[in-house]
Amino acid sequence: MATQIVMDHTGDRRHQFDPQNAFELADAEKRFRELTGKGFTAAARSAAGETIKVASFDPTAEETVFFPRLVGG
Amino acid sequence: MGFLLRIWRGSPDPPRFCAVRQLYRIVNIINSPEARGRGLLRRWLSERQLAQFDAFNFFDVIGCQTAKRYRIYYATAANVEELDKGGHPLMRYCFVPTGDLVPGDVMLAQKIALETDELAALELANKFQPSPQRLA
Repeated sequence: MATQIVMDHTGDRRHQFDPQNAFELADAEKRFRELTGKGFTAAARSAAGETIKVASFDPTAEETVFFPRLVGG
Repeated sequence: MGFLLRIWRGSPDPPRFCAVRQLYRIVNIINSPEARGRGLLRRWLSERQLAQFDAFNFFDVIGCQTAKRYRIYYATAANVEELDKGGHPLMRYCFVPTGDLVPGDVMLAQKIALETDELAALELANKFQPSPQRLA
């Protein structure tokens, strides 16, 4: 199972999906597009543990984190 | 609350009730937004960052474009400092994700931003002189 983690005021919301399941995969891709369209940044970790920014939906990413647009505080 | 009082009054075994109440309290603490944010952050830190965070409640990040070192403190605003080679603060930055996020989430967003798109994050950040107590 892969997980999309969306940060919010409750800590986060988690959406799990099976990359082998076409319906769940389409749902996850739609969620990715909606969130990034709203200005969320998506990030994943490489096999070496490095943080990488994800520009397009990656069905092989085990865990993707989304955080809202950054602003100067 | 009334439910808990009824259990307590009718309970033939107050120590067991106390244990159950303590368990509820622990579960609530573990599931609080702050704890969830902290847990997520800890999972995403490198081994070195995690050790630093557990010991001092802050961790260091190397900027992906300039290789400068930044220190991210456990807070939700003005909590990022640029450090010189000796580890002294040079500048304080404030850039945060929109929305009312908990400290762990804010820190993770700042870490990801500095490690993947450092200059863009700094460009939108407000800049301050580092606080005197952190200069020492």
